[in-house]
Amino acid sequence: MIDKNMRFLVVDDFSTMRRIVRNLLKELGITNVDEAEDGQVALHKLKTQHFDFIVSDWNMPNMTGIELLRAVRADPQLKTLPFLMITAEAKRENIIEAATAGASGYIVKPFTAATLEEKMGKIFQSLNK
Amino acid sequence: MSDFAGMEDLMQDFLLESTELLSDVDNKLCELEKRPNDKALLNDIFRGFHTIKGGAGFLNVSAMVTICHRTENLFDKLRNGELPLSSELMDVILDATGVVRGMFTTLSQGLSPAVPDAGLLAALDSALAGNLAVPAAPVAAPAATPAAAANTPDWNVLHAAVTKATAAAASTPAPSAAVAAPVVEAVVETPAMPVVAAKPVPAKVAPQQGMASAPPENTIRIDTVRLDQVLNLSGEIGLTKNRLTTLRTEILQGNMETHTLRSLDEAISQLDLLVSDLQNAVMKTRMQPIGRLFQKYPRLARDLARQLGKEVELVITGEETELDKTMIEDLNDPLVHLVRNAVDHGVESSEERISVGKKPQSLVQLSAEQVGDHIVIEITDDGKGMNPEALRRKAIEKGLIDAETANGLDEKQCLQLIFLPGFSTKDQISNVSGRGVGMDVVRTNIQKLNGRIDINSEQGVGTRISISLPLTLAILPVLVVRACNQPFAVPLAMVREIIPIDVSAIQEVSGRPTIVVRDEILPLKTLANLLNWAPTQKPQFGVLMQSAEKSFILAVDSFVGRDDVVIKPLQNIRPKGVAGATLSGDGSVVLVLDMEDLLSGQADASGSGTMMLRNADNYSY
Repeated sequence: MIDKNMRFLVVDDFSTMRRIVRNLLKELGITNVDEAEDGQVALHKLKTQHFDFIVSDWNMPNMTGIELLRAVRADPQLKTLPFLMITAEAKRENIIEAATAGASGYIVKPFTAATLEEKMGKIFQSLNK
Repeated sequence: MSDFAGMEDLMQDFLLESTELLSDVDNKLCELEKRPNDKALLNDIFRGFHTIKGGAGFLNVSAMVTICHRTENLFDKLRNGELPLSSELMDVILDATGVVRGMFTTLSQGLSPAVPDAGLLAALDSALAGNLAVPAAPVAAPAATPAAAANTPDWNVLHAAVTKATAAAASTPAPSAAVAAPVVEAVVETPAMPVVAAKPVPAKVAPQQGMASAPPENTIRIDTVRLDQVLNLSGEIGLTKNRLTTLRTEILQGNMETHTLRSLDEAISQLDLLVSDLQNAVMKTRMQPIGRLFQKYPRLARDLARQLGKEVELVITGEETELDKTMIEDLNDPLVHLVRNAVDHGVESSEERISVGKKPQSLVQLSAEQVGDHIVIEITDDGKGMNPEALRRKAIEKGLIDAETANGLDEKQCLQLIFLPGFSTKDQISNVSGRGVGMDVVRTNIQKLNGRIDINSEQGVGTRISISLPLTLAILPVLVVRACNQPFAVPLAMVREIIPIDVSAIQEVSGRPTIVVRDEILPLKTLANLLNWAPTQKPQFGVLMQSAEKSFILAVDSFVGRDDVVIKPLQNIRPKGVAGATLSGDGSVVLVLDMEDLLSGQADASGSGTMMLRNADNYSY
């Protein structure tokens, strides 16, 4: 199961959305959560602090989720971090783009805590294999 | 998703944040009209709708999701160059933002918004198919259809590819399919939809309604740095209080040594400093950038200009200027009115402008700036300006003033006539402005905020309306004067200077006492008389006061000095000309005067006023 003490980074430019994701994570018992309002801020936090899991929106100003994902995968320190991409796009080319960039999972808004748990469960399963 | 804990809170946050976002989108849309091919702008607008849609999805506001989704798709096509931007398309888009704004209002009342107007959805759909813009249709439609065709068939193949790529991406949840469905539907179905579907939309110019009655905000966003400051200061005040308590004990025990008293002095000075810092810090938590208000206006000006067939550019500066939150809310109506006035009455049509050798596009500037302890907001247009003679004639025609008074007015005073209730310069009443209910209400609203409104206008060059406001309503800087052995406070904002009254300088002009100050003839009004009190001595000083349109000298016995006071409104009783009361440093009660109120009474009963002046001749002027 998911380790409740894991440190999460929620990245979204819309603070309401960050709060929603935080609430959902809280429902799953995860409270060790930090936030970033775009990819740039997130990357800075990732490089200076320790995180176990990234939940990021796709569409953001300054640095998008996919750019963040590529930057994370290109960084030797961060490249193994689980990365769950959130987006409203259910378009196939987007899913493929995310997958080829190395997203651990892909979740479409709106989603429930259950969906989130399921997605995270799958990510951890594949990690432990 | 209805089992969210704290859903109402979340809704509040969502509304606050997305209303801001939508206003931003509105402005970007206005800019987009100027630079239709700006990729960054298109991207920003796309993201705006996308973000609102995302939030609305979580809050189960499906009506909003539907409309944002379509608009977002439209912008996706626009930014990819699949669709050209036409003014018809802009109208549909702006209409959509209007509807979304309306939904925010509904949501803020705790109601679930209705399914958007079918006409709008149809218009969006046909726009998506490229059918809306009549000339562009033959080009855009084929471009859209192959895209749709290419989209539909190999979904399964692609999906399978994803499934293999990562285990996690495999179960793209059911909602995704549901969300995707409308896109396909929209694109496939619409070629059959006739252009007529778009017709009902541009006819409506109602979205302003939603703008004017923006949801009342009962939450406020405060920079944590500012909150920390408040906390920090209150902590320090606590420390100083402890120090004072210790000193009190020492003094009560009879320790009156110099260093004890010096410590007491130091502690009190420190407390003084800290309290004023705290007041400032608390005030700052209520300060909001005026840009949140301003950002609604480009859209307003644009819609109105389009409706009137004018070319108007609204340029905004000083959005970052901060003002008390309550004032920002109360400023909206006056400013909306002034912006509309500038576009409707202020600037000319393009043809008229060309005929007098001006640029066809007119410029309306809206600016905010902090000047000293005041905020000055200016609305400037480069239109035809106001004709003082015409205003004078109009006021007489309408019976608002008599011919004699009218002839006594100088040009500047003529301009002030537009603030009279019932004054309207347009003979034809348009649905935009011109009902004559506006300017006097604008002035009243500004005065309620302890502000001042001034007009400057030059014929053929333009008009500038300046509003001067105090930074906050919580603390009022006043000048404390004395009359009839009692202190009174007058708002410092109205005080221009203080002059000693020299009896020989008083001249009678049509039976009223006046003093000439630097070539300006100013009426002299004795405070005691204004209050209907018997004067106890000859006034020694004159306070040169300036209210909205008139300057005068307020004669007082003496003055105490300036002070920052907190006005406590009087409960149940409201004596004429008294705004409230406050406590002075020595603990006595000081009445704070409302000069406008005091003067209005004087103008009404001018006959008795003169009588009184004569009766009290030995003491007053």
